Amino acid sequence: MSITVLGVNHRTAPLEVRERFAHAVGEVPQSLERVLAAGARGGVLLSTCNRTEFYLAEPDDAVPEAVWALLSERLGGAVGRSASEYGYIRRDRDAVRHLYRVSAGLDSMILGEPQIQGQVREAWDVSKPVAGPVLHRLFQSALLVGARVRSETGIATGAASAPSAAVAVAGKIFTQLAGRSALILGAGDIAELAATCLVAEGVRVTLVANRTYERAKAIAEELGARALPLDEAWDHFSDCDIVLSSTAAPHAVVTWDRVAPAIGRRGGRPLCILDLAVPRDVEPAVAQLENVFLYDLDDLQAVAAHAAAERRNDIPAAERIVTEEVERFWGWYGGLVVVPVLREFRERMEAVRAAELERTLRRLPHLSPEDRDQIEYFSQALLNKFLHQPTVALKEAARAGRGYGLLDALKRLFGLERRDGT
Amino acid sequence: MVLTTHFVALGLYALATVLVLAPFAGLRPAPRGLLLGVPIAGIAAHALGVMRLTPFMGVAPTLSMLALFLALFQVASEAAFRASAVGVFTGPLATGLIGLALLIGLVPEARPVAGRSPWSILHITISILGLAMLALAFIAAALYLLQFRELKAKRFGQVFRLFPPLERLDQLNHLSLVVGFPTVTLGVLLGFGVRYAGGVSVNAAQVVWGMLMWLVLGWAVGVRVVRHWAGRRAAFASIASFAAVLLVYLALKLTTPGTQRFL
Repeated sequence: MSITVLGVNHRTAPLEVRERFAHAVGEVPQSLERVLAAGARGGVLLSTCNRTEFYLAEPDDAVPEAVWALLSERLGGAVGRSASEYGYIRRDRDAVRHLYRVSAGLDSMILGEPQIQGQVREAWDVSKPVAGPVLHRLFQSALLVGARVRSETGIATGAASAPSAAVAVAGKIFTQLAGRSALILGAGDIAELAATCLVAEGVRVTLVANRTYERAKAIAEELGARALPLDEAWDHFSDCDIVLSSTAAPHAVVTWDRVAPAIGRRGGRPLCILDLAVPRDVEPAVAQLENVFLYDLDDLQAVAAHAAAERRNDIPAAERIVTEEVERFWGWYGGLVVVPVLREFRERMEAVRAAELERTLRRLPHLSPEDRDQIEYFSQALLNKFLHQPTVALKEAARAGRGYGLLDALKRLFGLERRDGT
Repeated sequence: MVLTTHFVALGLYALATVLVLAPFAGLRPAPRGLLLGVPIAGIAAHALGVMRLTPFMGVAPTLSMLALFLALFQVASEAAFRASAVGVFTGPLATGLIGLALLIGLVPEARPVAGRSPWSILHITISILGLAMLALAFIAAALYLLQFRELKAKRFGQVFRLFPPLERLDQLNHLSLVVGFPTVTLGVLLGFGVRYAGGVSVNAAQVVWGMLMWLVLGWAVGVRVVRHWAGRRAAFASIASFAAVLLVYLALKLTTPGTQRFL
């Protein structure tokens, strides 16, 4: 019996490789079915933009090969390397620890990021029909560990990514973001991503302005906003609360001359300008205007880095919780494995005792029934004495999370392999 | 009893101050329940002591009452505005004022010739309440300017993380001013009533300077309410007016030293 994880993540594979391994929800059952067919009792596939990992219960020796073959097919020879060259394998306690660290955000690109918790839950939900009881318990506990680490440590505090830093900065200007109006300049992916973060906080995107009107219209429709050409945006600096700029312009498009008159009409209300473009869209001089708070990508990354540094202080505390929970799980798992093997062991020894007793008594027909009972009692007592210490030791080892190694030895020494159904 | 409750309040205010300041020293922020509970317990003990101080004679009881109102506003700011940073100022101030009151001596050195009338006590209570509100407006304005400076300078340290949003501080400043000024006005009117009813004698310099300060405070409220000043300008006006009040008070105390009377 064992738990194994095979996979790749942001530390072992570049983005162009990881995006080929990423599975859509609809693809998960098919891939799992194929891997389980190579010989495993249960499986869960966790696939995000930063990792693709197969968690497997009791995998046969052929399973890793099946996993790497499946992933290599997705590479399609594009990078000229096998998937296994990007991958890693963790077994037993290390596999449990790995999942707990993943769920807690300790293995994330942005330390402590909360999205992974939802992704672990989704992976578990999608894989439930083939997960099996051990992985079911493992994933259930992983979610609890993630929640515990986040509540008992500061690993998830602060804004540790640029879009969340944008939200944090705006949140330090306005009492609440819900109901604020935002103007989006540019229609690139970064603007859209940051706008999504703001919308999640209740900000209303009212206008999307872009040099290409059609593109502005497409994004505006997605966000429930009005589209307008870029040149008509300047006047709206008087009435919005947040401006999010990410155009592809090679020079600053938001200049003092263009926006100062509109900002002058704000009556002192604060304006938060988030410039996510590289090169910058907003002329630095705009920040000199009264009650204008201008932040570019470097500033937001500084906020994120600050939060990440704060989070790093909490890594030891988070790791302690993970270690504690791994031992708890392993104790449960060890106990789960010990019971059927011990039963099998006792049955095997009892069968040997009964057979030897019968053979001995056949050779001693002159014995009275009382003597025969005495001999049977003796054999029973001897067997119990012999089995007592190994039984106690195994149960104690299982409780302490060390049962698996002893159990393996027991199975090999007494030839119990394949007879306990494992 | 008076001293015991004041010492209990002093200890609890000091603890509340430590809890507020702890995150600025890089420690984990205290739970909100504790941030509210500790000063509330201090206020309860303090209120018991202050109730036994009437009639308010001398500087010490007045300082004690001012500390009580500041602690009260600290709790109210946290409860209503989630502005625990207000405690950065009110915490040490309330602790210091109550400590000073204990040092000066809460039993007046000079016994009054005649006891205070209820109107006189009401005048003192309302005036101190108004003064505490103006102090809160000053604190909110100071926090606003600190946070404003950090945001403009793109410094994302402890102030950025632990201070409330600018807009909330502006709202707190606005509310404190528009409630505090009428309260002070009521206190001044009651003071006139008490004086002309023959309760307490007040010299002309105090009346003139008091009226001048009332006008300065009125200007700070006026620019907010009538001219719709907000943000940094309003914060500066609030700080300037409160600073003027403090300076005039100190000047008057220097001309008539002693601890027998607050003014």
